[in-house]
Amino acid sequence: MLQYWTAILTEASIFAILALGIDMIWGWAGDFDLSAYAYFALGVYMTMVLTIGKAKSPVEYVLGWHLPYLLAIAVAVVVVIAFASIIGAIALRSLREVYFSITTFGAVWAIYYFVENYTPLFNGYNGVYGLFDPMGYGMSYAAYHYVFLAFCAVTLFGVYLLVQRLSRSPFGRMVRAVRDDEKAASVYGRNVFGTKYRTYLFGAALAGLAGGLFAAYIGAFSPLDWKPTEIFVLYAAILVGGRGNPKGVVLGSFIVYVGFVEMTRYIPSPAARPELGPALRQILIGVLIIVMLRFRPSGIIPERLGTDGTEGRRSWRYLFARSSAPPTSVLAWHEARPSMETVVPAEPRPEAGT
Amino acid sequence: MAGTTTPTETPLLKIWGKMSIFWISVGLGLSTAAILALSAVAFTLEYAVSRVVNLAHGEILTIGAYSAYVAETTFHLNLYLCAVVATITGAVAAMSLNFFLIERFRSQKSLSTLIATLGASLILQNLILIAFGGASVSYQFDQGTLLHVGPFLWTTITIKVMVSAVVVAILIYFLLQRTQLGKALRAVSQNRELAQVSGIPARRVVMQTWMVAGAVSGFAGFLYGETIGSITPSIGNGFLLLSITAAVGGGLGRPYATLGGAIVLGLVMAVAGTYTSSAYQLVIAFAFLAVMLLIKPSGIFVRGRRATVRA
Repeated sequence: MLQYWTAILTEASIFAILALGIDMIWGWAGDFDLSAYAYFALGVYMTMVLTIGKAKSPVEYVLGWHLPYLLAIAVAVVVVIAFASIIGAIALRSLREVYFSITTFGAVWAIYYFVENYTPLFNGYNGVYGLFDPMGYGMSYAAYHYVFLAFCAVTLFGVYLLVQRLSRSPFGRMVRAVRDDEKAASVYGRNVFGTKYRTYLFGAALAGLAGGLFAAYIGAFSPLDWKPTEIFVLYAAILVGGRGNPKGVVLGSFIVYVGFVEMTRYIPSPAARPELGPALRQILIGVLIIVMLRFRPSGIIPERLGTDGTEGRRSWRYLFARSSAPPTSVLAWHEARPSMETVVPAEPRPEAGT
Repeated sequence: MAGTTTPTETPLLKIWGKMSIFWISVGLGLSTAAILALSAVAFTLEYAVSRVVNLAHGEILTIGAYSAYVAETTFHLNLYLCAVVATITGAVAAMSLNFFLIERFRSQKSLSTLIATLGASLILQNLILIAFGGASVSYQFDQGTLLHVGPFLWTTITIKVMVSAVVVAILIYFLLQRTQLGKALRAVSQNRELAQVSGIPARRVVMQTWMVAGAVSGFAGFLYGETIGSITPSIGNGFLLLSITAAVGGGLGRPYATLGGAIVLGLVMAVAGTYTSSAYQLVIAFAFLAVMLLIKPSGIFVRGRRATVRA
């Protein structure tokens, strides 16, 4: 039982880091990015091929170095950032909202099929394996898992502090200003593309970091482990916790992840129908996404604009306050102000059927 | 040199052989493009009236394909009646999707609706998985004989697929241009509120458009299942990315531009797939999409260019 909880909490910590990364792109910058799982997977693959050594005959993959684990994660994160800078440059330059989502949706599937079919890269469909005890302590199986859980938890805490700090910094506020009104932000001298691009790369780096941790956790990784539809549980987690609020995202990840794993134990999965359990789980995720979006899109702990940073700890009070929006905030100012659309006539919509 | 060259490998025959492979792949591309065109036009119509990028669009295709499968195996209907069943089921599925989901999200941003359709896609795909299992099934219709038509190589069923796709495309043209619904549809797609206050029953027009789009998608799902020969719960999802690429590449929300985009994409994929590997189809499709979005974000078949594309 203890081992079971160790495993679940380790996974939840890793996915919370990934969720924090996704939330920077989706929650702060407002770009619904579907390709984050590809960055996570690239982080896993890179960490693997950098630590497990040369490929032996039927198995083939690039590099095959013997770097120390922590260094390998660092290199993997750099590779992920470099890769995300290409996708980000394509998707963010002039595309927004649904067009951005479509592009990243295409990107993740294209990458998925490429990795699955092009064997020389990461051994294609069969994947890479063989990473265990990367720290090299030579511990017993059980002890290793406790130490690794501690390592993941500490990393998550560090990432959380960093992200929370960044969220309250001028940069965090600038990202949200750009999200809420690009025209206004650029009038005030903010570089719209640069802001979104930097946020995107930071989010991708966190996804790569989570991948590096995950590599040591599972030790073997193939395309079956990262079907792009699997990541939707994290979008549900972010929606439940509270988009744009690091505290909420971590909370949501633990609630939804642990909740779903716990729940799936009680779903009957007869041997004749092995697909039943996972399918029901996916259906529940879909329902959760729709219900949260429809009835409580801001989540359990909503994002609080303006108060973060200036009021620090006092912001906890708003959790229990009657009104969720603090009175003298950027949010209130935003709501009182007439929106751009009512002042400036909207652009003419494209004609259909021409 | 002389020892290795067999008589069939003279330069002229080599070129002829390559050309013939080229034409065969163009022929295959045309049949894919025909189905893709239907699916993409349905997708673009949904966007035109509801401003929603419907990520559950693929599941409507899957529902069409499976309903025809049920009609064939359980009720032993023939090819044409199965097509009718797929069409009707697709229409019903799309109308329910619009009624239960899209209309409920009308007051929210289009990005929220996109995420909601993502949830719907998960739900539908896994319901189908539970109902029919993960193993692939296939229709038992006669594939017909192999025919040489000009430089192309087609089977009778491929020709039927293409002819029916062209017929449906022509019907859509008449629907958009010559009927009252088409006129109302174009008005609603330009400005729903304005159409509403001018006396057009916008809600009903949107519903009817979803019915048409669903019917076309269901039919396209049936044709696709018939062409590739095996149906799985995720066939529609794989086809979704191609439909999106065709629609966005041609011009999202514009049926005729989408039609052009689908034909170009079908041909590009078939020809590129012949010289690389068919496994990279989606990779090629994405490369096509990325290039299109970088060069001309408003779509190839749309005049003028806007700097920023927004929904």
